[in-house]
Amino acid sequence: MSTVIARTVTRTVVPIILVTAVALLLQGHNLPGGGFIGGVLTVTAFALIYVIYGLDYLEEELLHQNRETIIESIQHGIVGNYQIAFGVGLAVAAVAGLVPILFGSNFLYQDFWVLHHLPIYGELHVASALAFDLGVYFVVVGALLTILAVVGSE
Amino acid sequence: MQPTPDPAASAVLAVVFLPFVAAALVPLVYRALGERTAYFAAAVALACFGLVASQYGTHGTVSFPWIPSLGVSVSFYVDGLSLLIGFLASGVGVLILTYSGGYMHGEPGQPKYYAALLAFMGSMLGVAFAADLIALFVFWELTSLSSFILIGHYQRQKSSQYAARKSMLITVSGGLFMLVGFLLLHAVTGEFSIVYMLENPELVQEELRQAGLFLPVLGLIGVGAAAKSAQVPLHIWLPNAMEAPTPVSAFLHSATMVKAGVYLLGRFRPVLVSHEWEVAFAVLGLTTMTVAAILAVGATDIKELLAYSTASHLGLIVAGFGFVSDLGGETGAFHIINHATFKAALFLVAGIIAHEAGTRKIDNLGGLKDDLPITAAIAAVASLGMAGVPPFNGFYSKELLFEAAWETATHAGGLAWLYPVVAVFGSVFTFLYSIRFLMLFFGEKPTGLHKVHSPPKAMLAPPLLLGILAALVSVGGVLGTFGFHFEPFDHFVTEVWASTVAPEADLHGGFSYHVPTHITPAVAMSAVTIALGAAAYPFYDRLHRGVNRITDVDLLRANWYYDSTVFGLNDFSDTAAETVQNGLLRTYATWAMASVAALALAGYAASGVALPDFTGFAVTVPIALVLGVAIVGAVAVSLAPSHISGVLTLSILGFMVAVFYVLASAPDLALTQLVVETLTLVIFLLVLDRLPAFYGNAGRGKMLRDGVLSAVVGATVFVTVLVSTAASPDDSIANFFTDPAVTVEEAGGHNIVNVILVDFRAFDTMGEISVVAMAALSVLTLVAMRERGETQ
Repeated sequence: MSTVIARTVTRTVVPIILVTAVALLLQGHNLPGGGFIGGVLTVTAFALIYVIYGLDYLEEELLHQNRETIIESIQHGIVGNYQIAFGVGLAVAAVAGLVPILFGSNFLYQDFWVLHHLPIYGELHVASALAFDLGVYFVVVGALLTILAVVGSE
Repeated sequence: MQPTPDPAASAVLAVVFLPFVAAALVPLVYRALGERTAYFAAAVALACFGLVASQYGTHGTVSFPWIPSLGVSVSFYVDGLSLLIGFLASGVGVLILTYSGGYMHGEPGQPKYYAALLAFMGSMLGVAFAADLIALFVFWELTSLSSFILIGHYQRQKSSQYAARKSMLITVSGGLFMLVGFLLLHAVTGEFSIVYMLENPELVQEELRQAGLFLPVLGLIGVGAAAKSAQVPLHIWLPNAMEAPTPVSAFLHSATMVKAGVYLLGRFRPVLVSHEWEVAFAVLGLTTMTVAAILAVGATDIKELLAYSTASHLGLIVAGFGFVSDLGGETGAFHIINHATFKAALFLVAGIIAHEAGTRKIDNLGGLKDDLPITAAIAAVASLGMAGVPPFNGFYSKELLFEAAWETATHAGGLAWLYPVVAVFGSVFTFLYSIRFLMLFFGEKPTGLHKVHSPPKAMLAPPLLLGILAALVSVGGVLGTFGFHFEPFDHFVTEVWASTVAPEADLHGGFSYHVPTHITPAVAMSAVTIALGAAAYPFYDRLHRGVNRITDVDLLRANWYYDSTVFGLNDFSDTAAETVQNGLLRTYATWAMASVAALALAGYAASGVALPDFTGFAVTVPIALVLGVAIVGAVAVSLAPSHISGVLTLSILGFMVAVFYVLASAPDLALTQLVVETLTLVIFLLVLDRLPAFYGNAGRGKMLRDGVLSAVVGATVFVTVLVSTAASPDDSIANFFTDPAVTVEEAGGHNIVNVILVDFRAFDTMGEISVVAMAALSVLTLVAMRERGETQ
């Protein structure tokens, strides 16, 4: 699979995919996009790296870690980070839901603010739902990558 | 009646919840007190007893809202019957827990034992006082659960496991029948409150009859009561439940849990009593009384004998409640008290014998009175009461049953004459096994029975107290003959009796009892019973063998049916699991899809869904073109000669669907579809080079089967889409979301899909991401477990 063409293309494409994913996440409230789509797109970028460079590449070349067994990599390796990612995602989503309660609203109540006269942007919508979306994003990224890494390493 | 004060809310609440709190504290207490936890638990029971006693004389409801939107409340009702069961549960509880302090000495698992026993007592008190159908059901099943733990106390023994599972299966499923009955009651009356039903019994019965639900409700509640009170043929769990430690048997199987069933009948008696009620429960009760008494004669183990005897006496109570005449309620009310005193005493006596003599086999025991004089005296009072010999306590309540049976027979005539005949016939066996139990203390001591030690005081005092109570009731009858009545006791029984009859019923000036002084039909029946019993006693061994020869026949044993069903189902599920989950993905998919399709289609057929009018294709040319390509892709997938081409053509299908979403102006959906499709493709690439090029050709039969299956699944989905899209309401919910005033103004977003996901239905999204996270966790766990070799 790892022809020179594939490697070069991947190198160029992966950052673009990641940026697109983040853009989709941020614009989700007003345009097509959102946490789920952004998350899946991010996973696609990682999956591409896995396919082209192999599973061990990330661990050994990029992170300089040597794991002998799957258990080790599940417990300490990059999979551990993925686990943290979806854990954090769940926590972010839950906190985003709980914060409104502090202000006397219902669980998961969302609000938004419009900021005027910003440099470059001019006018900006800031929705509190973004925090929740961020949680969704992390859960999707973490969970799918966990599955991908664990099943892929089989 | 003069006005009675309302019960105190705090006291009633404390009675029910104190045992649960104490149960939660038991592990801590055990660390501090060790084996003396028994006395802590007994103190809790004593406190409950005091609280129940403090409510004596009150009458009324205490209510707290629980699920107000459904009309469900945690409410408690205090009247004679609930006080009686409350006294039994807490009072016998004190004795049993004290006794446990001696009996459980050195046994393992004591914290669990005391916690479960306290929780059980709490749930029993809950059953007794609950005035709401749902609350009653919850406490009812809690008694089943805690008794499951108690019966399975020796959890490593196969026989304990079997017994615990059996009692759980029977009593819990009986409770479910009862729940259905309750829900029907609710559906008809619109009330969950038992008090409402007790106050308007005629109205409720009238409404039930009009709805045609009277018999179903009667039957369903009857099944629940019969399962709990071990009525034939559901009695089979009771003898097995003797695997539990003896104090548990005494508590659960003489004084409390089995009383829950008869309590239920007593509670609903005013509401449901009728001709059908009499036929159902008089027959059920008398059958149980006779069958269980015969089985008790066949018992070889003293606890087994007592277990069957319990079922038999519960039959007597059920039969008593079954008779419509006022005497019926009196019989049930009085016999509950008598049975609790003499049977709990006998169980504790049995525990002493087992503990001190080291055996429970009837044949290996005898002549114990020299070593255990006090125990022998208790046993004499209690077993003569159980036998129904005058002037002991069981005699009076059995007289009442005979009277009720006789009265009903003279009224109805014909087949109703079977009632008194069967009652006498069953009582003969009751007499036989009671005397047999008593004879453990008399006669020759068998060789091999070593010197029997006296039990510790903690074990002797509770049965002694119960024996004295039984003796007091007996003495009360003798004194009653001379005109001395113990008013408070009579008054209390009257209260209980009044709870089991309609509010305006005539109680003939209240309850009182005495030794009969002239010949009545009931006296004659008692005389016949005792004479026949005495005549048959010399042939006890022959009867014993005869009964066992009969119960050796499989088809005559209820146990055989239970075992065949349960083990048969076990075997069936083993076979089914092997067939359905044979390790081939193809098989899994076949079964899953076929059953989903079958269930869905059967559901449509059962509910008579009509297919909506099909108005033809309303698609534009571009959409038709895209879908056409998708279909070609789908066909190509099934014809693909290798995995790689299969994956690629599958992607054609996926991308075409994405384009279709674009054309149908659903950009968000299209984006998702595109991204997921890309990811799928990439993941396939990851695994593709590990797969064999192709699996080879499937057989013609398999292909045919798969073809038919896919056609059926396709048809199911098609019908589902048609039906579900046709069922859209007139005022579409989409109108709400497409209204800019809602999405833009309220949520500040222009993308409806996203606004719905994160604003309006964020709770759904929350659940979905939890599922995604759980899926990842399960993959992790599965792989990790396999790597560690934990495949078992």
